[in-house]
Amino acid sequence: MAALNLKQLTRHSAGNLAELIALVVLACLPLFLGHSAYAMGLLTLLAIYAIALIGLDATVGYLGQVNLAHAGMIGIGAYAGGLMVTHGFGLVPALLVAGLIGLLLGTLLAFPALRLEGPQFALATLSFGSLAVLCLNELESITQGAQGLSVNRPAFHGGLAMTATTFFWLTLGLLGLVWFASRQLLEGRWGYAIAALRNSPIATDALGIGALKHKVLAFAFGSALAGFAGGLYAFNLGFLQPQAFGYDLSVTLLLGNVLGGRKSVWGALVGAVLVVLLPNLLSNKPVFLAIAGVGALLALVQLIQAMRQREVRFQSLAPVGAMLLLLGIALVTSNLEEWRKGLFALMLFAVVVGLPEGLMGSFSHQLVKLLQLASTPLPSPSVLDQVLPAQGDQGSAVVDVRDVRLHFGGVKAVDGVSLALAKGEALALIGPNGSGKSSLINVISGLYKPTSGQIWLGKHLISGKGLLAANRLGISRTFQNLQIFADLTAIENVAIAMKGAYRMPWPLVAAGLAGAEDRQAMSDALALLTLVGLQDKAGVIAADLTYSDQRFMEIARALAAKPHVLILDEPAAGMSKPDVEKLKRVISTIKSRGISIILIEHHLDVVAELADRVIVLDGGKPIAEGTAAEVRANERVVEAYLGSSAQHLAEISSS
Amino acid sequence: MTIALQLDGVKAGYGRAEVLHGVSLKVEEGQLVTLIGANGAGKTTMMRAISGMLRPSAGVVKLGQRDIQSESAPNIVKLGLAHCPEGRRVFAPLSVEDNLLLGAYRKLPSLFGYRRKATTSLDRIYTLFPRLKERRNQSAGTLSGGEQQMLAIGRALMSEPTVLLLDEPSMGLAPVMVDVVVDAIRTLRREGVTMLLVEQFAQTALSVADYVYVVERGHVHVEGSPDEIRRNSAVVEAYLGA
Repeated sequence: MAALNLKQLTRHSAGNLAELIALVVLACLPLFLGHSAYAMGLLTLLAIYAIALIGLDATVGYLGQVNLAHAGMIGIGAYAGGLMVTHGFGLVPALLVAGLIGLLLGTLLAFPALRLEGPQFALATLSFGSLAVLCLNELESITQGAQGLSVNRPAFHGGLAMTATTFFWLTLGLLGLVWFASRQLLEGRWGYAIAALRNSPIATDALGIGALKHKVLAFAFGSALAGFAGGLYAFNLGFLQPQAFGYDLSVTLLLGNVLGGRKSVWGALVGAVLVVLLPNLLSNKPVFLAIAGVGALLALVQLIQAMRQREVRFQSLAPVGAMLLLLGIALVTSNLEEWRKGLFALMLFAVVVGLPEGLMGSFSHQLVKLLQLASTPLPSPSVLDQVLPAQGDQGSAVVDVRDVRLHFGGVKAVDGVSLALAKGEALALIGPNGSGKSSLINVISGLYKPTSGQIWLGKHLISGKGLLAANRLGISRTFQNLQIFADLTAIENVAIAMKGAYRMPWPLVAAGLAGAEDRQAMSDALALLTLVGLQDKAGVIAADLTYSDQRFMEIARALAAKPHVLILDEPAAGMSKPDVEKLKRVISTIKSRGISIILIEHHLDVVAELADRVIVLDGGKPIAEGTAAEVRANERVVEAYLGSSAQHLAEISSS
Repeated sequence: MTIALQLDGVKAGYGRAEVLHGVSLKVEEGQLVTLIGANGAGKTTMMRAISGMLRPSAGVVKLGQRDIQSESAPNIVKLGLAHCPEGRRVFAPLSVEDNLLLGAYRKLPSLFGYRRKATTSLDRIYTLFPRLKERRNQSAGTLSGGEQQMLAIGRALMSEPTVLLLDEPSMGLAPVMVDVVVDAIRTLRREGVTMLLVEQFAQTALSVADYVYVVERGHVHVEGSPDEIRRNSAVVEAYLGA
C-alpha cells in the first residue's frame, strides 16, 4: 500500500513541487556553509550516494533481490572514469564510459545471476563484488593497486575551473536528471512489469510482458547508475583505493536503501542523507541527542496510535525501547564514537521493526492521509472496437494439435491428443480431475514442452517455444490457480499486458516522452475492464478484489494480449450463481468478436451454453467428442465423469 | 441439544476494511450447517474468524462452553476445531501420509510413538477415502485436484475435531469427484461430526444441510431449514437458479 501512496504523492503536482524544493534547498546549501572544501565534499558525496542508491533500488527495492555487487560496480566505474582523465580525456567522456561499463557489466552479470533467487543471488553478487576489488588490486600496471590512484578533477570544456562548489552543483544537476529518468522508468512501465514478474513470473511470460527481459533491464539500469556514480566519486575524492569499494560499502548502501525506503527516489535521497551524515553527526553530541530524541518521540507517537486501535504488538513496542536505550546511551557516554556500531545497530533495529517501509515509505503514508490526496483519476475508456477489433470468421483452423504427448517420468499426463480448433469456435475440454486437461492447455499455451507431437498456430509451429513465443503468435490464457499481479491495481494489471502499447525505446521514456503512450494503454485497459464489468473497480489493488472479480480481471488481462485464441482454465470455479451468469455473458461477447476459445470447466451448464464442441478426456486421451448433448448421453462419459449430475443435467435441459 | 459452536455479533476484516459487520449464528452438536452467499459476502472471512486465522475485532466465538475469539489458531485446533481451507492448501512436497500425520500434530505432541498413536486416526481416514490409502506414499503435489481435496479433509479430521469447518470443498472438482466429496460429508454427518460448510453449489449445500445461513455483505441475510430456504423466492432467484 505504501508503494501506491508514494506513487500517488510523486504523481501529484504537490509532490513534484516538493522534489524541486528539495533540490533547490540542496543547491543553496553552499551559500550558507561558506564553500568549505570539507562540507562541499560531503554534500557531493551525498548526491553521489543518492544516484547509487536510486540504482540499487532497481534490484533491491523493485526486484526484491539482495544485490551485493553494487560497490564493485561503483569501484569499476570510479577507476574507469579516473583512468580516462589521467589519460587525457575530458569529464564528459569519462563519465559516459563509467556509466557504459556499468551497463555492460551489469548486463553480462544479469543473465547468470538473475536465474538465481534469494541467498544464491546475494552470494553470486557478493562474489562479483570481491572479484572486482581483487582485479582492481592486482592490475597494478593499470590501477596502481593498493597504493591508490590520484585523480585530478578535470576542468570544464573551455578551461573553466572546477571548484569543489561547482562540482557539487554539477553532481546535483546530474542527480536531478537521474531522479527524473528513474521516475519515468521505474514508477512507470518498468515498475509495473517488475511488480508483475515478482507476483507471477508465469503470468508475466504468458501475457507477453517478459519476465527475464525486465529483470535484466532493471539490473543493468541499476548497474549503469552505479558505474556513473563511481565516475563522479573518482573526481570528488581525487584519490581511489580498491578496498574502498568492498563489502562494507555494499552493506552501507543496503542500509541506505532499507532506512530510506524501497521503491522510491525520495527514499534514495533520505537514505543517502542518513548514511553520509549520520557517521559525521556522532562528533556533535547535541545534534545527535536531538535526533535520538525526535526518533524516540516518533516511536512513542506510533505506540500511542497502536494503543488507540488496541493493537499493541512487538512492532510498536520494540522501537520505543530501542530509541530510549539509544537516548540513554547518548546521554551517559562522553565519547559517542566508541559506541558507534552499537548506536547504528539500535537505530537500524528501530527503523526495520517499526517502519518496515523505510522512513519515506511511512512518511508518505501519513502525508497522503494528511493532504487527503485522491488517487490518480482514471482516463476515459477507449472504444472497444479499436482495442479488440472483431476478427473475421472464416472457419479455418487456427490451432492444430497433432498427436501431442506429455509424459512426466512414468506418468502419461497427455497421451496422444489431436484436435483442431476453428476460427471463432468455442471448444470445451472436460474430464475427471487428473485426466490431462490442464496439462494439455499448458502444452498448447507453451508452459510445457510436449514429449512428442506438434502444435501449429496457423502457419507457425509453436510447440516447445515457450509461453512468451506462444503469446506473441496469438495465444493468451487465464489460470486455474489465479496468477494475478497482486500488488498492481486492476487497470494496471490489464494495461501492462496490453499488446503493442509500449513501443517507445527506453531512453525516450526516461526523457519523459511516454505520457501519451501510457495514457492510451490505460484507456485501452479500461475498455477491457468495462467488457468484464470491472470499470468501477479499476483503481482497486488486485489483491483486494473479490475472488470472482480477480477471475474477471484475469480474463480482461488475457484479452489485452489481443489473442486469436483465448484459453480459459476453470473460469467459473468458486463463483456463485450470479457471477456464473455474468461469466457466461462475458464469454459469449468475447466469442462474438471472432476469438477462438478453449474452455476447461466443471460447471456443465456453462459448457452446455457456450461450447460449440466438447472433448472429454480421461487418462490423457480423448474418450468422446461431440456437442454437449451428445457427450452427455455417452455412457463412458457418465461413468468416468458425470456421475449423479448426468441425471440432474437431463432435468435442466428438459425443463 | 447442546450448542457446539456459536457466534455472537462477530465483526472482522482486513486492516481497516471491515468485512463482517456483526454476525451471529449457532451450530448444534451433530448438525451440518451450511453458509451460502455471493463471492465476497464474507463466508471465508467468517471461517477464518472462527478458526483464529483472523482475530475478530468485536463479538464472541464460543466452542462448546468456551470463548475462543482470543485464542491462537494452533490452540483452537487443540480445543477441538479444525479448518479445512478453501483451495486445499496441501503440503505439496510431503507424502500423503505425512500430510495426514501433520494434521494430528497438536493432538499427538509426543515425539515417540507418534505414528503408532496416529494409526487409528489414519485408519479412519483411509476408510473414508480409500483412494488416499492407495496413494499414501505419493507426494501430495502430484495428486489430482479431487484427491487433494480428500487429503485436505482427511488432514483436518486427523486432529479429531468436535467441529469441522469446510470451505468450498467442491471447488474446481469434476462432477464425479463432487459426488465422492459429498458422500464423505454425508458419512461424517452420520458419524456425528459437527460441521460448518461453505458451498457454492447451493443445491448440493441444501441437500446435505440441517440448517442454512444466507450471508450477504457481511450480515446474515436469511436463515432457516433447507425447506424454508427453498420456499424463499428471493434467495432461490439469487443463489439457486431456475
